[in-house]
Amino acid sequence: MTAQHPPARRYRPPAPLGGRRGSRRGLGRRNLRAFAFLAPALVVLGLFVVWPMISALRLSFTDASGFGREEWVGLENYVTVFTDPDILNAVLNTVQYTLLFTPTAVLAALGLALLLNNPHLPFRSFFRTALFVPFVISFAVAAFAWSYLIDPQVGLLNYWLGGLGIRMGNVLQDPTLAMPAVAFVAVWKLFGFYFVIFLAGLQDIPASLYEAARVDGAGPWSRLRHVTLPLLSNTMAFVLIFAMIAALQAFDQIYVMTGGGPYGNTQTMVMEIYESGFRKLEVGFASALSYVLLIATLLLSIVQFLFFGRKEKDLS
Amino acid sequence: MTRTRTLLGAGAAALALIMTGCSGGGDADGPVELTFWHGYTEADGDVLEAIVEDFNASHEDITIATEVKTWASIDDTLLTALSAGEGPDIVAMPAERLPVYASRGAFASLDDFYEDEDSNTAHLVPGAVDMVEVEGEKYGVPAGFVPLAVYYNTSLFEDAGIEEFPQDWDQWVEAAEQLTVDENGDGTPEQYGAVIPDHETVANGLWPSLFYGNGGGIVEDGQAVIDSPQNAETLEFWRSAIVDDQISPTGVDGIGADELFGSGKAAMTVGGPWMASIATENGIDYAIAPIPAGPEAQAASAIGISMAASAEATDAEQEAAEEFFSFFLNEENSVEWSLGSGWPPLRSDIPAEDVASNPVVASLTEMAELGRPLLPGVVNSVDVLTAVDELTQRAVAGGDIDALLDEAQGKIQDALE
Repeated sequence: MTAQHPPARRYRPPAPLGGRRGSRRGLGRRNLRAFAFLAPALVVLGLFVVWPMISALRLSFTDASGFGREEWVGLENYVTVFTDPDILNAVLNTVQYTLLFTPTAVLAALGLALLLNNPHLPFRSFFRTALFVPFVISFAVAAFAWSYLIDPQVGLLNYWLGGLGIRMGNVLQDPTLAMPAVAFVAVWKLFGFYFVIFLAGLQDIPASLYEAARVDGAGPWSRLRHVTLPLLSNTMAFVLIFAMIAALQAFDQIYVMTGGGPYGNTQTMVMEIYESGFRKLEVGFASALSYVLLIATLLLSIVQFLFFGRKEKDLS
Repeated sequence: MTRTRTLLGAGAAALALIMTGCSGGGDADGPVELTFWHGYTEADGDVLEAIVEDFNASHEDITIATEVKTWASIDDTLLTALSAGEGPDIVAMPAERLPVYASRGAFASLDDFYEDEDSNTAHLVPGAVDMVEVEGEKYGVPAGFVPLAVYYNTSLFEDAGIEEFPQDWDQWVEAAEQLTVDENGDGTPEQYGAVIPDHETVANGLWPSLFYGNGGGIVEDGQAVIDSPQNAETLEFWRSAIVDDQISPTGVDGIGADELFGSGKAAMTVGGPWMASIATENGIDYAIAPIPAGPEAQAASAIGISMAASAEATDAEQEAAEEFFSFFLNEENSVEWSLGSGWPPLRSDIPAEDVASNPVVASLTEMAELGRPLLPGVVNSVDVLTAVDELTQRAVAGGDIDALLDEAQGKIQDALE
């Protein structure tokens, strides 16, 4: 005699990021209606995103300064982008920032989401809200607050740590610590958003799968490895891509906290774009630099899509 | 105030400003309306507003509307505003920022205006006029020109028993050592004799002032001259004073210096006229002295503010802008502006007794001849100043000074070409 288990509801993983292929019937009319609904958004997108992008592409082949007539300079700006040592420095800084920020933010968000997904944890909703709060604060405000907290003369954090005998020194002026410091502020500010996304992803995983795993003798670590993480891979892809894009576009807190210093150690690509465009009035060059950054971001995103897309396929 | 990083909201502010926009206009023979952007936010702002109001009252056919922004946001929004045709007709900006706009054709040439006898420009301080000149043409009029000076805490000087303000570098460092106090002996002084920022110094002028003092410089006749034995000596002298003798905290920038002086933690700082109000606000007794003489010269880089007229303006608007400039520079307004803003008069023909009623102006006027314009006519001042910042910051941190000077020389020369 064997106990008859009811067949577990067949688990259907959430749609991949690209969406599932739908039916082809009645497409024309539905498309028309869809476009009618989308029109306002498309107009805004077209005016404020697509048109500026096209216009920036044109500018990137000129010596535009924002005033007067610009002259066509062909690929000159792009040649400079790939040969200027300052730009190389900015690229390396951006890579360093991305490597510091992305894993830290994603792991912190994932870890806390796993912890707070536990229904038996006291004050669960308080913690959830508290962790999300930094995301709501403006980046500039957060950056100002943190620069004051770690200020070597008047900083509270320095004062408290000083009481414990720990000296942080002038973090933002220290060439080795400045980049970790600005990356930390971004982690603090942004991980709450990734945390909420992870939490939603975790709650999408059916409890029956954990039960089944438990019945099969899987411990907490195996359940995490073989159930949670694989089923979270869509969420993970989304979060990773978002975190990486945020990292490649690092600007706000750097502008406020270090201005790219000490001696160019936190000068990222976007800082360089800002400086070229708005300080040196080399709008053409700044446009070219923006396009290089755009294409790099796009390529990296595609690589990640492909990677996670394949994992998704393996799973089903 | 002339620092650019400080106040931000750059992106958001820029967008908002473009959206709301602001433009002058008016028909060729109707009344002319001009917009005027400036960054005078303190008592100086009130005086400037009063001068503009007087101008409007005395000119029926011209109305100037001012818009007050921070200096940083003027710089961040001017490009987009002007290129969209929505910019100001008159704009005031840190003087070292004018050449880059002028060289891109953003501002109207004022050469004819300067030739006009009624323009009140004949007696302008020459250094101030140098800062509005780009490739031999004048694109603006000065709104402010003041040499950097030492602002010092007189009570701390009394406590340390120093009666006379130092006259040369050695005395300066000696006094600073006497004023440096490490009460608990932990190696970190609680009170510093001076605060010598190593980057983003006030109006970017501290290190240039020190370089001049030893006979060095940054740019001369369009060529980089930073890699000189004089500058190497200067850097070594001050590195040793800051690091070995601990007369100043390290890694401070110009804003940090203002704060340290304002909180009474540093006995001396090099700054601009606003330090007087910072000291007063914080209840600090202060006095002003010229930057002590170096081995070769006594000189101070000047903080300059220049005003320019948009090249987009119509003839009538440009004429109206020039009318305002000559009004602003007339004798009466020069005195009023100087007394109200705390900056020395822009005209060398204003007698000292006319501005004696403001002690800050009086002492700054005495040292006016020490003032040297910062990088006059240099279009790419951004890269030059970045190279200087990198040099000084690394040198103070203990880098190899000769190698750093060589590197800075290359970068500055590149920026000039």
